[in-house]
Amino acid sequence: MATDEHLRAGRLVFYSDTVNQIDALLKEFLRLSKSKSAYFIDRDGHLVTQMGETSGVNPEALAALVAGSFSATRELARVLGEPEFHSMAHKGDNCQIQIALVGKRSMIAIVFDGSTTAGMVALYCKELSDKVAKILDIAERQQAMHHKEEEVVDESYTTSLQEKLDRLFED
Amino acid sequence: MVQINFAKKEVSCKLVYYGPGMSGKTTNLQIIHQKAPQEAKGDLIAIATEGDRTLFFDFLPLDLGKVKGMNTKFQLYTVPGQVYYASTRKLVLQGADGVVFVADSQKKKLEENLESLKDLENTLKEHGIDIKTFPVVIQWNKRDLPDAAEVPWLEEKINWLKAPTTEAVAARGDGVMATLKTTAKLVLDKMNEKGGGIAASTPPPPAQTAVKKEEQVVALVNGDKITRSYFLNYCQTQYRLATQGEVEDFRKFAREEELAWLNSLINYLLLMQEAKKNSLVVDRKLVEAHIAQMMRKYGTREKFDQWMASRNLTLDNIKNEAVKNAVTNAVLKQKVPDLATAAEPSDDEVNGYYATHQQAFPGGPAQHGEKIRQILRNKKKRKLLEGLYASLREKSKITLFEDKL
Repeated sequence: MATDEHLRAGRLVFYSDTVNQIDALLKEFLRLSKSKSAYFIDRDGHLVTQMGETSGVNPEALAALVAGSFSATRELARVLGEPEFHSMAHKGDNCQIQIALVGKRSMIAIVFDGSTTAGMVALYCKELSDKVAKILDIAERQQAMHHKEEEVVDESYTTSLQEKLDRLFED
Repeated sequence: MVQINFAKKEVSCKLVYYGPGMSGKTTNLQIIHQKAPQEAKGDLIAIATEGDRTLFFDFLPLDLGKVKGMNTKFQLYTVPGQVYYASTRKLVLQGADGVVFVADSQKKKLEENLESLKDLENTLKEHGIDIKTFPVVIQWNKRDLPDAAEVPWLEEKINWLKAPTTEAVAARGDGVMATLKTTAKLVLDKMNEKGGGIAASTPPPPAQTAVKKEEQVVALVNGDKITRSYFLNYCQTQYRLATQGEVEDFRKFAREEELAWLNSLINYLLLMQEAKKNSLVVDRKLVEAHIAQMMRKYGTREKFDQWMASRNLTLDNIKNEAVKNAVTNAVLKQKVPDLATAAEPSDDEVNGYYATHQQAFPGGPAQHGEKIRQILRNKKKRKLLEGLYASLREKSKITLFEDKL
């Protein structure tokens, strides 16, 4: 078992029950706000979960770009002397995206079209972001004591992965 | 930062290609994109200027498929190399699990290489990471150019880190995959916390010396490890929470005391496992209420902080204790649904307790009725809890390694 500090610093673990709770909130949010899809992304650009009409969208690229652009926004806030911008939005002809910060290390990206309004999305998004932050907070506290599943990344995993890398990526 | 997502059964790592401008970082990603099997690669995304210089980053997701039941992904990023994009490099480097430093082998590029490596060191430092303990692989790129320096010369002039190195002609595709594999292996070693900065080609040290004493396992509870360092941390925190007077900076415990603490930690771990098995979620309000209750004991926040400081305790210690309390109550309540009734003492029990402890309650039983009830409630609750621990232990596999204490 590692210490809490090590866990927080070393890796970000999402357990099924946490993600299921977040999924339920995203689903309810989509229903209330009439948005198309919602993506929950960690600060480093890894997609955690997604809900709604996500077909035709490359979720990994979306996650990397959202995290990248939010990082840039954070620097922009710093330049302007603001501790943090909590949300940002982009508007296109047919589609809009609203991105909101959740806690310190994750964010939610909402994609919506003319079926709803930016105000409606922003309203429910704030509520969603607070609820998800609470779930993450509880999960993080509990995480300190749950390590069993983390052992998936053990020696045999490493060996198997190395074999796979050798097979897939030949010079 | 490695992300482990049990809901999606996915492990995801972030690798960043770093190095001076025009050293071949984007070319590395383009070659990987060309050579990787179709099923393993996503789209290559580039945020570039009109002159095709990287502006923000390039991004290539690699999906290695299932490994031991976990879908494993590598996300490759490049940073813009030009000196004036320092802030962008810092953003992209955030959360990286490993770095490929693409160095230009030409002698005339020595200064640029050194400057960029220094920049990497500083940027990692800004993220609180020491480059010496971080997985970095140096790729000597452009080996085909006439001005390319000999590798020993490059090693001596640039590789003060003693990082593992590879040789490449990225534009021709030579050495690109080897670099990726070397880096991936280094990151995996780090994840396993065995290699931690050791060159991929270096054989691992013998098992006895590989595990630091602090990381030795003192007990196994249904497969969950309790390491020595975690255990010592637990002992110190519990000691600080329980002691009334002065606390020592680091208390050494007698063997019997250590065994008692270990049993208490095992009991708690059993409760946590039970809570997880039954999908019990700790109510945040209960945790906050517990902390608030502790604060109230000390009157003001300032006095509470003073008490914590005098015991070398942090608010995290208090929060963990509150979570422990809430989990204990939640599991107990689930096992004994009518807990309030079960823990409530009868009038006979109250009178019996008073009869045997009269000297502690001057003024008669009526005056101390509630106090006695509370003492008896706590006793009953402890007994119920002991019963619960016993039943959990019966169906658990617990192994103690007393020699590691």
